[in-house]
Amino acid sequence: MSTIADDDIDPITLEIIRHALIAIPDLVDANITRTAYSPLIFEYKDYAVGIVDAGGELVSQCRGGIPLFVTTALGDAVRDGVVIHGADGIGPGDVLVTNYVGTQGQHLNNAVMYTPVFVEDSSRPFAWFAVLVHWCDIGGLAEGSIDGAAREIYQEGLHLRSVKVVTGGKKCEDIWRTIGLNSRTPDMLLGDVEAQLAGCLLGRSQFEDLIKRYGTRAVRKAIETIWDRSDAAARDVVRALPDGVYEAESWLDGDGVDRNRKVRIHAKVDVRGDTMSVDLSGVEEQLPGPFNSGFTGGAMTAARIAFKYLTTPGEPANSGAFRALDVICPEGRFLNARYGAPMGLYSSPLPTVIDTILRAIAPACPERVSAGHFADFSLFRIYGPHPKTGKLYNMFGSGFGGWGALRDGDGPGPFKTMAHGDVLEVPVELHEATTPVRVEACEFIPDTGGAGTTRGAPGLRKVFRALVESKMFVVFARVTSKPWGLEGGREGATGQAILYREGAEPRIMHKEWGVPLHPGDRIELQTGGGGGFGPPELRDPARVAEDVRQGYVTRQAAERDYGVVVGADGRVDEAAGKVLRGLSSQ
Amino acid sequence: MPLILAVDTGGTFTDLAAYDTETGQVSYAKSPTTYGDLVEGIAACLERTGLSLADAAMFKHGTTLVINALLQRRGAKTMLVTNKGFRDIIEAGRGNRPVPFDLGYRREAPLVTREWRLECGGRMEAGGEEIEPLDLAALADIARRARDGGIEAIAISFINSYANPAHEKAAVEELRAQLPGVFVTSGADLSREWFEYERTSTAVANAFVGPQVGAYIRRLESRFGERGFSGSLLLMASSGGLLSAERASERPVALIESGPVAGCIGAAALAGQLGIERAIAFDMGGTTAKCALVDHGRFDVKSIYYVGGYAYGFPVRAAVVDIVEVSAGGGSIAWLDTQNRLQVGPQSAGSEPGPVCYGRGGENPTVTDANIVLGRLDADAFLGGEMKLDAAAARAAMGNKIAGPFGLAGDTGLDSAANGVLQIALLTMSGAVKQISIERGYDPRDFTLIAYGGAGPLHASALARELHIPRVVIPPEPGNFAATGMLLADARVDESTTILRDLDASAFVITDAWFADAEAQATATLKQEPGAGTPQFQRFAELRYKGQMHSVRTPMAANAPELQDNFEQVYRARYGHAQTGLPVELVGLHSVASAPLPGPAISNISQRVAGGSAIEAASRPVYFAEARGRLMTRIYHRASLASGFSADGPAVIEEYGSTTIIGPHDHFTIGALGEILIDCTGAAS
Repeated sequence: MSTIADDDIDPITLEIIRHALIAIPDLVDANITRTAYSPLIFEYKDYAVGIVDAGGELVSQCRGGIPLFVTTALGDAVRDGVVIHGADGIGPGDVLVTNYVGTQGQHLNNAVMYTPVFVEDSSRPFAWFAVLVHWCDIGGLAEGSIDGAAREIYQEGLHLRSVKVVTGGKKCEDIWRTIGLNSRTPDMLLGDVEAQLAGCLLGRSQFEDLIKRYGTRAVRKAIETIWDRSDAAARDVVRALPDGVYEAESWLDGDGVDRNRKVRIHAKVDVRGDTMSVDLSGVEEQLPGPFNSGFTGGAMTAARIAFKYLTTPGEPANSGAFRALDVICPEGRFLNARYGAPMGLYSSPLPTVIDTILRAIAPACPERVSAGHFADFSLFRIYGPHPKTGKLYNMFGSGFGGWGALRDGDGPGPFKTMAHGDVLEVPVELHEATTPVRVEACEFIPDTGGAGTTRGAPGLRKVFRALVESKMFVVFARVTSKPWGLEGGREGATGQAILYREGAEPRIMHKEWGVPLHPGDRIELQTGGGGGFGPPELRDPARVAEDVRQGYVTRQAAERDYGVVVGADGRVDEAAGKVLRGLSSQ
Repeated sequence: MPLILAVDTGGTFTDLAAYDTETGQVSYAKSPTTYGDLVEGIAACLERTGLSLADAAMFKHGTTLVINALLQRRGAKTMLVTNKGFRDIIEAGRGNRPVPFDLGYRREAPLVTREWRLECGGRMEAGGEEIEPLDLAALADIARRARDGGIEAIAISFINSYANPAHEKAAVEELRAQLPGVFVTSGADLSREWFEYERTSTAVANAFVGPQVGAYIRRLESRFGERGFSGSLLLMASSGGLLSAERASERPVALIESGPVAGCIGAAALAGQLGIERAIAFDMGGTTAKCALVDHGRFDVKSIYYVGGYAYGFPVRAAVVDIVEVSAGGGSIAWLDTQNRLQVGPQSAGSEPGPVCYGRGGENPTVTDANIVLGRLDADAFLGGEMKLDAAAARAAMGNKIAGPFGLAGDTGLDSAANGVLQIALLTMSGAVKQISIERGYDPRDFTLIAYGGAGPLHASALARELHIPRVVIPPEPGNFAATGMLLADARVDESTTILRDLDASAFVITDAWFADAEAQATATLKQEPGAGTPQFQRFAELRYKGQMHSVRTPMAANAPELQDNFEQVYRARYGHAQTGLPVELVGLHSVASAPLPGPAISNISQRVAGGSAIEAASRPVYFAEARGRLMTRIYHRASLASGFSADGPAVIEEYGSTTIIGPHDHFTIGALGEILIDCTGAAS
């Protein structure tokens, strides 16, 4: 550990500035969730707020917002601005917007707005304040700009590369009008963009206050401290892992055209000393459907999220926390697609990629990871003309399911995937009040959590009944690669959708578009469960009996998977269990 | 029977304020909270004042009983009854993970395990129409299961009950009839707002604490009765109003922020008396700092509260004054993480073992220890000298655990480390104030800071400087301010409902009818509160731009265009932008009815010192961050400062239960009510 006091800037002052730098994006974060128009921001937390230094390195990022943005998105945007406008081409009071896939590598909805922070005696920015927001609709093939049918980026909406939306404090009305005209929901979009702008300006002014108070030299030093300490924290963890090459494989189902094609996911993790490289060269080639991403939006994002789960879950996100990580993925793979590839659903494969990286490294540190999780966005949409208003109604949602067991505890959940964070499930009462759809159940499915010494969390079933003529789509990305167990734990179940229609056989669906629904049809969405950890036989029979009493595990599964017989009184029948496990003395 | 008593049972101390309606005098007392039997602490407090319960017409009470029972999960054996298919809503929650990178993240487990979550046939649709009748036979079976299982409390929560509570009402009646002695409550009884998880969680929390709170209130009444008390007992609700013992027993979750709210009411009353339009109430105690905004005598009320915090806790839908609470109190522990970074909190040494200087076994330096090290607190003057603090131990801990690892040596090194601890705690506090102000669209520079609680006056001036707040007010008896606030509180009824529709003329037929009904019911309820005056009403609408998720509470208007105007004004003020003329949607209504209760005039809350000049007790060197070192500082006894006295900082004003720090560039004056007014606009010369 280096000494803290190594020059004339008081170490305590550095600590104070460090805390202040971390607090600024959090303040703006809260402001944005309250002012945004679109539920994607307020409920889904599809945004990020951060301070970026002059060179594009991330200084601090808000704690809210989904994990998908712990990538280089904010810094890449800023660097691209300098490429486009030149080092002296961006002045005080300018605000720019970019969703350029060449640098961002995510769907076009993710637009970064950024503004320079100048200090008095310099003509170049000292740093930048940036806010990424998911723009609700920017044209393209379908409402929301994301559609499974897209085959190239040009079908996915408005593309902006580091465009000035405010120059010297004055709004550029031309570009605002253009943005509005390219959206199906211009009021909602422009409302969100206003909130994004307000956030940018609030963050900038808070940051300027900090610089005024402590001076650029002390702030710069505090920034270095932030990076160094987070870097050291991550390296401490990596150093403790045995050196070696660790690999794992899994797959997704469907490439956007062929819904049965297996899409290979492969991760090779190389630990050497205090550095780690994640090599994703083994993943599938670029896909015809919109499941692609660019290097930073895909390979880098998945590797960083996995690295953060593994090394520094409690650290605020900043560039330093990822210095020990190297990411490899050649161009042409679906996680580093060539320019022009469709990316609307870029994020849906990422939970499984993250899951697979963690699976690879698990043998090196089983105490730090969990077994596989359900890892599926489980997207669905039921839509059609609303009989009362005649307008199109649109009921959109994603699933939440079981997470994998950890060595020291049963799997948590139900939660959204590892790529989600503070994302809120839509309440039943909101669905029912705003759409002609009834929800008939939301409950655990027993035995879907993988058996183990610690058990995976079970998945959920949610049942919807169509009340009027409607259509639906479902996208389950991972239906045959079951959430794996670790260290002898068993697999969890995968998810699926089932259509129940009067007088017809139930129909299992994974990826379906435009399915007509008649009044009375029922759709059951099942999410998967997490994998188990450790051999099930080693689970305390009393805990198995407790699971049976609570209904997470059925009596039959207790006998089959755990060799534990639970009597009618709810107690463990030890003698019968011994027979089952071949331990009987008879 | 001239007395009105107010007692706040806090985490560390039980505080009492007594108002004599004949003499107009207010007296105070403080004694340690007795966790074994809370009633004992109240009795001890009364004894210190020499007042008799037999002379009291009214007893107002704030308590942490509800929040503690929920946090410590010590409550009744509870059952939950839901619709078919929905018993897991309480466990599934909203599927979110506020701590995004922790693979082991999990929320606190529900207060009811799955085996005691039972389902019952019957269903309402979102418009309130019955789809399937309530299954009474199933209820009989549920009652039998409850009896066999020794269930003490039952929560009933059905989908869409916010739109039509008939099934819940029928189920409550049926189960009450079959299970005498069991506490039965329902979601829609507590909240008429949509979102099933939040409402179910509220009903479960209410059931979980119901039997205990009922028993506590009955015990209070009977013990007080033995001591000759024949007046009325009122409990402080989180909404800022007082509830009768009966209403409090039915809906104990309404008491969740009982104590902190009382201070806000005091701050609002004080602001009114001093002609302060906009104030930030700042309360700092042993474990947390809390702040709330007072705008023209009113504070915002939210309808959701997370027990145990948003990240890990569960929601309760109850009217709660909009308070932002952060982990920065006197007991907050300073520590270095694995990368040698200085952190303060969120762990607190609490009152046991407490800060190192308490000498009760605390080993980790706290904010209070930093104040001792820096000479801001006098180890011999704490609680009027009743409790001696160990300054040497505080210095040793600060030196070994913080200064040493940073390579800071000697007295200046120690000061520098202790100052760092305070500055980081101050950042946490200013973060809370920014959240309640900037984040909600207000500029803190337009506000006066009213600081109280044991530790509030210690940090108020520095906090004001940090946020460019021009003025600070320290009320009389800041360490007892919650009890004072309670003396001033009204009786109050809050009602909310979800009504989703476009904002047009026809909407007003519905809203007018709802308000009229809510106000008639509130009037009837308030009439039963003893001594309550004529009720006053406030009407609010929850509005949002169509398609937006988040709604804004807006003062009601007579017609749609005016209401839209109000909405846009509130929106613009809060968020800095608003789009004129976009379609606006009604999401809900909120009615507030309040009736004044007999209490003192705010001008009577302190005994003012008549004439005379202030006695400077002593001087001592005190560390000030802006001076980057120690300044010789005058020490005053507050009791000796008469109204009209004024002086420049730096200064320290000591009193029983609190110490006020006046910064080196500040100027202070003692106001007409005995309050300390600190002018924080002076610049360094």
